[in-house]
Amino acid sequence: MKRKIAVAAALAASLFGAAACGNSGSDEGATSANGTVDGKGKTIKVWLMVDAETSWKSVVEDASKRFTEATGAQVNVEYQQWANHLTKLDATLAGSDVPDVVELGNTEFSKYVFSGGFAELNKGDFENSGTWLSGLSGACESEGKTYCVPYYAGARVMIYRTDLFEKAGITEAPKTYADFLSAADKLQTGNAADKKFSAVYMPGQYWYAAMSWVKSTGGEIAKQDGGKWVGQLSTPQSQEGLQRWVDMVKKYSKADVTKNENEQAGIFSQGSGGIFYGNAWEQGVAEEVRKDPNDPNSALVPTKVKGKLAAAPLPEVPSFLGGSNLGVTAKSANKELAAQWVKYFTDSKSMEGLIKASALPNATALLDKAATDNPKIAPAALSAKNSWFPPNAEKWADVEKGNILQTMLTDILTGKKTVADGAKWADEQIAATLNEA
Amino acid sequence: MARHDDGVITVGRSRTGTFFANATGIVFGLIMIFPVYWVLNTAFKPDREVRSFTPTFWPHDFTLDNFKSALGEELFIPSMVNGLIITAMAVAAALVVGFLAALAIARFSFYGRKAIILVVLAVQLVPFLALLIPLFLMLQSVNLTNSLVGVALVYLVLLLPYTVWTLRGFISGIPRELDEAAMIDGCTRAQVFWRIILPLTGPGLVATSVYGFIQAWNEFIIINTLNDPKNQNLMAWLLYNQTERGTAWGPLMAGAIITSIPVVVFFLLIQRNIATGLTAGAVKG
Amino acid sequence: MHAVDSRPAPAPAPQATPPKTAKRVRSRSQRDSGVAWLLSLPTLLILIAMLGYPLYRMIVLSFQNMRLRELFSGATPPWAGVDQYTKALTDSVFWGVVGRTAGFTVVSVTLSVLAGLGIALLMRRVTRGVRMFMMIAMMFVWALPQLVAAQAFRWLTDSDFGVLNYVLTQLGLDYSTHSWFVNPWEGWAVITALVVWAGIPFLAISLSAGLTQVPKELLEAATVDGANPWQSLRNITLPILKPLLMIVTTLSVIWNFGLFTQNWALRDGHPEPVYQTLATYSYTQAFGRSIYSYGSAISVITVLLMFGVMVFYIRQMFKIGEVD
Repeated sequence: MKRKIAVAAALAASLFGAAACGNSGSDEGATSANGTVDGKGKTIKVWLMVDAETSWKSVVEDASKRFTEATGAQVNVEYQQWANHLTKLDATLAGSDVPDVVELGNTEFSKYVFSGGFAELNKGDFENSGTWLSGLSGACESEGKTYCVPYYAGARVMIYRTDLFEKAGITEAPKTYADFLSAADKLQTGNAADKKFSAVYMPGQYWYAAMSWVKSTGGEIAKQDGGKWVGQLSTPQSQEGLQRWVDMVKKYSKADVTKNENEQAGIFSQGSGGIFYGNAWEQGVAEEVRKDPNDPNSALVPTKVKGKLAAAPLPEVPSFLGGSNLGVTAKSANKELAAQWVKYFTDSKSMEGLIKASALPNATALLDKAATDNPKIAPAALSAKNSWFPPNAEKWADVEKGNILQTMLTDILTGKKTVADGAKWADEQIAATLNEA
Repeated sequence: MARHDDGVITVGRSRTGTFFANATGIVFGLIMIFPVYWVLNTAFKPDREVRSFTPTFWPHDFTLDNFKSALGEELFIPSMVNGLIITAMAVAAALVVGFLAALAIARFSFYGRKAIILVVLAVQLVPFLALLIPLFLMLQSVNLTNSLVGVALVYLVLLLPYTVWTLRGFISGIPRELDEAAMIDGCTRAQVFWRIILPLTGPGLVATSVYGFIQAWNEFIIINTLNDPKNQNLMAWLLYNQTERGTAWGPLMAGAIITSIPVVVFFLLIQRNIATGLTAGAVKG
Repeated sequence: MHAVDSRPAPAPAPQATPPKTAKRVRSRSQRDSGVAWLLSLPTLLILIAMLGYPLYRMIVLSFQNMRLRELFSGATPPWAGVDQYTKALTDSVFWGVVGRTAGFTVVSVTLSVLAGLGIALLMRRVTRGVRMFMMIAMMFVWALPQLVAAQAFRWLTDSDFGVLNYVLTQLGLDYSTHSWFVNPWEGWAVITALVVWAGIPFLAISLSAGLTQVPKELLEAATVDGANPWQSLRNITLPILKPLLMIVTTLSVIWNFGLFTQNWALRDGHPEPVYQTLATYSYTQAFGRSIYSYGSAISVITVLLMFGVMVFYIRQMFKIGEVD
């Protein structure tokens, strides 16, 4: 009953427009992650994405243990799903009971930094901050201040069928883009009998891939010009890259032009593909399935392509650098503790754990080490050295949400628009979105 | 020759006509049921048959693994429990509150009655999604987002107009003479309510609460916007159950079946009353 | 199964209202009025708090500029006047969404109502067993939750593993790895098929219940007088069915105009611009891009567009005596 009354009272309060407590606490200066904080009896709440739970839970536990030893505070980690996590975050950050540390994708951060969602941090307090991967840290920085800490990265590589390569008489991974095309050619002719065969499996809305091709010819997505964003896809360099990608997809891929890359590994594992472009870990996903897809601990079952895959950097095509950052929320009541936890979770020791779990570390200084320590991620580590990331614009996430690039790609692939028209349209949309007041 | 078969007229109807009608009817029924069958078929197949370029029209290797997988998914059972709690709260509240209003509309003639009817009818038609933005802001300002109570409150409003409207129909179906006779016999208004109206509305209450259950159980957009994955219902689970390999169709379809079972069972149980609710709006799959 | 019988179904028909005892004890009426309002009070309060107030907030919000920053800080959003409306009404994308939503509504409602009517008539023509089978099939479709139905269609039309492409390919057409959502006409055909498929049971079953209201003597007499089936349908059945037909059509319009679940689920939670309807567009603006005010303005416009249809529905309800 009491609860009901409380609810009624709360509703009444909202009815009469009781202004929510307006303490946003943004001008307090940078939160330090050094020094001693007595966190006895306190618990910080950490939101990590589900990848940490499935792939490197022990790293999380170890960092939390060291954190607790140093500060006496407890850690409560909640793992979030990627689907729709931003809506949840919005709802939560609007309230008062907020998580202290939040992980977001690197392309998602700018919007939240701009909106005052995260607290300023003291960059120097974090290990390897001098060589952070700029593709990750770019989103953390605004007007010379730092609002988040790079966590891990992923780079894309070409994953290919060794058996089909051998059958086609290709002895080594392509060294140049021309090699790559000629390999695709050979695969195509060698497997012409399979009607579903894609020499290069490339879903049409895989914009990370398409933009990598754009970068490969010196193109850009957008750049800032006198405080305004200007779409760059119509420049000759960008159009050349787009054309290159489109020609390749049209010739070698039978993938659905309206799908994105989410299911590509699963489809590739059916055996009707020669090469696909994906995160290094997708090789494992293509080779083995969980017996029970909902149970990350169930046994692995080999697929048709088990043991027939290898990975290599895609020659001459810079990789999109994906990954995640960690921020301390502006509304957190335990900012210093939260920053300390982030410090432990991103230090060299934790990064070693991530490398073991086949994720790329957050700093260039650690990439070489990653390549030697874990041969499985060597191609990705190499790829990461030649990588790019989307424009660091506050509203970039809206370009992704608005499906602008995806729509452009589908339109071009289906012949609805020419490369020039599609690029022009996308430039207009991108400029309108990024410059929106 | 005219023949009566359940009131169906067969005057001047030829045998071939009937044959073609039957054939059309059967084809129609098969087309209608096929997607439902395909859900079942997928749910009982092992993954290698599901994810195959050559689909099989019945499970060659019949398996219950998909059901095990769905049930074993971390959030499945919690989502089911959440859904039951939210639905129970919303339906119970809607029934109590709605019954009172239905009684007023059906049994009293008073100033403003028409206005109330108008409001009840009109609000059923407001696209509820349109209100999601302010509802979200309101609930979050009192810390009721990410809570079962908050969602139950929203569902209560979703169900209330419909509940009032349907119960009104059931109550006005009870002859007033019964009330009046009872009152002549010395019953008070309250006694009339407890001894006559409430028992006679029993079936109506059941039917209404089942509609309410179906409505609340099937909702996913509101709950998905207001709550995080730990506080969602099964529908939201269905929408966002993704694994690292994209959609796992087998377990997803198994989950869909488990989620649909209560709805389908309830629906079939009360389909006798469905006609009553037809034109009242809210009952669409 | 009751609905299979053709005894007049209880409801779409006007409620049997007992003759009003007009001269009831007048002295009670004052007190009655008070009791009645008291009984209605909880309902009214809840509707005001959870529907009326949000409606008001939505309108206010649509004249402000609420973004993520205001959401986080709790500060009052700056006043924006009619900016959001100007932005919507001068945006060709918005008008595209309006046109698409309206076009879809017209097409899908026409198809569903015609199909529903056809099936209802067919059900009176087939033999008992077939009718039973049709009813059972429709009941399952009707009972299936909207989202499950949408997921089922997404699976049927999957470009790689979907059974539809497989069957078409087996029939000799080249549909292997065909994507149904490249061409918006095809994509909308799938969405419309889903909506019509899911809408038929409601329409066919309620119209078939309505058909029992048509006196068979009248139809038999017409046949004896040499009327062909088409004439009987046009001159006898349809006029009698008209009020019910109006109601179900109006309801279908209201439902289909608010299309969200089907295109949302079929496009995997991120509909491309050509698959946006007013409902998904407003939702994406508000919750995807955190432009809450713009989303609200679109919602307000949506409600206004629906207003005429709603008034028509309510008048119709009063007219056929559902409301005494």
